[in-house]
Amino acid sequence: MRESLLQSTQDVIEVARRAGASDVAAWGSHERSVSASWRDGRPETVQESVSRGLSLQLFVDGRYGTHTTNDLRPDALAGFVREAVLWTRALQPDPFRELPPRASMPDALPDLALEDDAVRTVPAEGRAAWLAAADAEARRDPQVLSATSECSEQERWTALSTSHGFSGAYGATGAWGTVAVTVRDADDRRPEAYELRGGRRLTDRGDGAALGRLALTRALARLGSVKGPTGVHTMVVEPRAAAALVSRLLAPANARALQQQASFYADRIGTPCFSEQLTVTDRPLLPGGLGSRPFDGEGLTARDLPIIEAGVVRHVYVDTYYGKKAKLAPTTGGGSNRAFALGPRDRTGWIADVGSGILVTDWLGGNHDATTGDFSLGLQGHRITAGQIGAPVGEMNVTGNLVALFRALRGVGNDPYGASATQAPTLVFEGVSFSGA
Amino acid sequence: MTPMSRRALLHTAAAGAATVTLPRFLAGCAHPSAPSAASLAPSADDHLRQAYGIDAAVVGRVMSALSARGADFADLYFQHSRTTSVSLEDGLISRATTQIDQGVGLRVVVGDQVGYAFTEDLSEAALLGAARTAASLAQGAPGAPPAAFALRDGPRGMYQLEVPWSQVGVDARLPLLTAIESRARAKDGSIERVSVQWSDGEERVTIADLHGNLFTDVRPMMRVWCTVTARRGSQTVTNGSNLAGRHGLGWMTVERVQQLVDEAVGRTLVLFEARRPPAGEMPVVLAAGASGILLHEAIGHGMEADFNRKGTSIYSTKIGQPIAPDFVTIVDSGLEPNERGALNVDDEGVEAQRTVLVRNGILETYLHDQISARHYGVASTGSGRRESFRHVVLPRMRCTYMENGPHQRDEIIASVRDGILAETFTNGQVQIGAGDFTFYIKNGWRIEGGKLTHPIQDVNIIGNGPAALRAVTMAANDTRLDTGGWTCGKDGQSVPVSQGLPTVLVSKLTVGGDHA
Repeated sequence: MRESLLQSTQDVIEVARRAGASDVAAWGSHERSVSASWRDGRPETVQESVSRGLSLQLFVDGRYGTHTTNDLRPDALAGFVREAVLWTRALQPDPFRELPPRASMPDALPDLALEDDAVRTVPAEGRAAWLAAADAEARRDPQVLSATSECSEQERWTALSTSHGFSGAYGATGAWGTVAVTVRDADDRRPEAYELRGGRRLTDRGDGAALGRLALTRALARLGSVKGPTGVHTMVVEPRAAAALVSRLLAPANARALQQQASFYADRIGTPCFSEQLTVTDRPLLPGGLGSRPFDGEGLTARDLPIIEAGVVRHVYVDTYYGKKAKLAPTTGGGSNRAFALGPRDRTGWIADVGSGILVTDWLGGNHDATTGDFSLGLQGHRITAGQIGAPVGEMNVTGNLVALFRALRGVGNDPYGASATQAPTLVFEGVSFSGA
Repeated sequence: MTPMSRRALLHTAAAGAATVTLPRFLAGCAHPSAPSAASLAPSADDHLRQAYGIDAAVVGRVMSALSARGADFADLYFQHSRTTSVSLEDGLISRATTQIDQGVGLRVVVGDQVGYAFTEDLSEAALLGAARTAASLAQGAPGAPPAAFALRDGPRGMYQLEVPWSQVGVDARLPLLTAIESRARAKDGSIERVSVQWSDGEERVTIADLHGNLFTDVRPMMRVWCTVTARRGSQTVTNGSNLAGRHGLGWMTVERVQQLVDEAVGRTLVLFEARRPPAGEMPVVLAAGASGILLHEAIGHGMEADFNRKGTSIYSTKIGQPIAPDFVTIVDSGLEPNERGALNVDDEGVEAQRTVLVRNGILETYLHDQISARHYGVASTGSGRRESFRHVVLPRMRCTYMENGPHQRDEIIASVRDGILAETFTNGQVQIGAGDFTFYIKNGWRIEGGKLTHPIQDVNIIGNGPAALRAVTMAANDTRLDTGGWTCGKDGQSVPVSQGLPTVLVSKLTVGGDHA
């Protein structure tokens, strides 16, 4: 697969050059995916698919366009490329557009342990056994109305070739399990919860029974949820929800947003901006990491990139184009694995440490303004009383400014989230504004 | 992989300045010479050959393989789409994107069990392989595949374009982008940056079912976004607006360009004066139009029959019961011409319809696809939709709105002593079973003593669906659908939708805000 995919990207570069493109980057992908689900004691769905596609970045007479197709029949592809060149010619020239220098792209690719052959050979019976176990455990309570369990495996090949001589491809596998449980509450409310586990290796999704139990525990914890109190409280965010919050914090940390004046990081690079507790490093070369990659979205060699060190903004994500526009040296166009400097204790330890406040387990909706950092998010979770997890609360918002919030970060857990490339641990914030009853 | 949470969410394509991702609504036939919907080839065989390069006989053999182990339903969903995007940034139209996407989804349904496979390779071997995979779920005797396929004449009137996007020249869109930018820049000296994102296209779909029916549709879509950044002193603000629908190029008249520019600039500049309202519970007035997000989140998703069939919706036991004041009638309809949620036929080939969810305050019917319709012993409401050939059919909303109520807008605002008016939104989300829903207000006003006192910004609203509907205490006579584009997400699938509302008062919702 690796060789044929690379060959197809090299072939299409020649087609594009003949059609008039001066420079070309060609991406090829091939993905196979299998999934199955059970609901309430029996199989509900089986799905299987193969996807492939070619995506071209064309540089034509100082102009630029990206063009994607999955109709790979030779005649159709040649017609598509000719039309894509015409399209690109119709645009205005852009002096900042060019391929990244060849020297910024790797000569040899490291082995990042992204593939597990066991993922490729799971028999249908293996999936069914995982699902049956998950389903049985997820429904082991009379208050359960419905439970759905799903497991899936993927294998994907990614190839990139450029007209200035780069050619590289890598494979990655994934195996995932999820269980969602709905339970019956008062007033005909039917609270739900889910658990998700997986990774590059087949063993990363663990066994179905364990995940089913976790999902059931989460759902039962929602019973009797009430609207929490309006006021200013300490907020403990558990790892899964912390990963989503950090993704918001880092969303405008890039050259495009800075150059377009739509980033609260403007004038903050090199300055202490957040709590000293916060250190985040982009680490694309972590073996087996969910965000790991030997080269980035335009072929730049992957390397570690400090984003925030003890609250000081060290680097932002800079691709070749916006780097030129904003006069910043390219780093990488987007995030890979985000690793955190860890703290002294886990979620339970922090709950005991803070004594009282609100534990956030999930966000519900909400948004932020990337220019100002203002945010307002819906949430559910629990009260924290006497250092213990207390009654479930929901129908609350937390509102503020992301910069001020992360300045008020008091503590960091030692329990990084494993089911996301953003490996956030438990985060503890002081003086957070909640609205509820 | 998307977490399999029973949540659903709604968003505008470029919510916030950081996420200007062009929407993945696909469109268009790849071949400029392909027949438009009006002049479809007369026979099923001609149609399949022209549109997808496949013989009807092949489709027959694939259908046999698909139903070889039995099926209550089985269908093949052919799709060919083409999208074109162009953007203007820093005064240059220097980026274009084109995308062609094609494939076939193959589905076998036995009771409420679904076997599904898709292929992007339209060769007979690939189709047969996918059919055998999908059929593996079934365990019965062979079905009775159709002897032949016949094209069914369906309705065509919802979005027929004079000029299909596939026939619009490469450069015809560019003057519009330039006009939008220059008009926006000219409106205020504080404007530092204006960017414009344009996207258009068409998708052709063909559905072949077990009865030998062949349903077809050609669905256009266009959207244009204008994003504005302005600066006064040390304060920088960004916002924007968009127009979207199943329209052609001719729809973008001078007046519509001006509407887009006025909205984008107005919604940005007002942020200089905007503050947060106080935090906590208060009355919320929802402005006519985009506030239909309330219906989408508070009731729409909960009325999708798959959640009710599985017993996981808060509305599972409420059909026939009063759930709102008697002046409230809520409709979900595919029959709103040229709206994003409009359809001629749904993705199972069922003619589009207008479905009354709530009539005079009484919960009337769910939104059904064929699976849930069979489960409940009713007819499908034409609500079976899917993002693409890669996805299974689910019951989904189309254009969701509330009909006019008995009150006046001014009367509603004047009745509020201490609350807010919500005008524009970026996104919302709901927990189908617990009923908690949210929506995010980008622009609005503080109401004090029955008067609008100052603009507000960036607050999330959270409530519980049935409680919020009971708390609808007034509704005005100014209902309209939003002209901006909305995309609804459910089970990892995105589909275009529309929403509308008259000016409505909800007497109590929880507003994210400041503590004074």
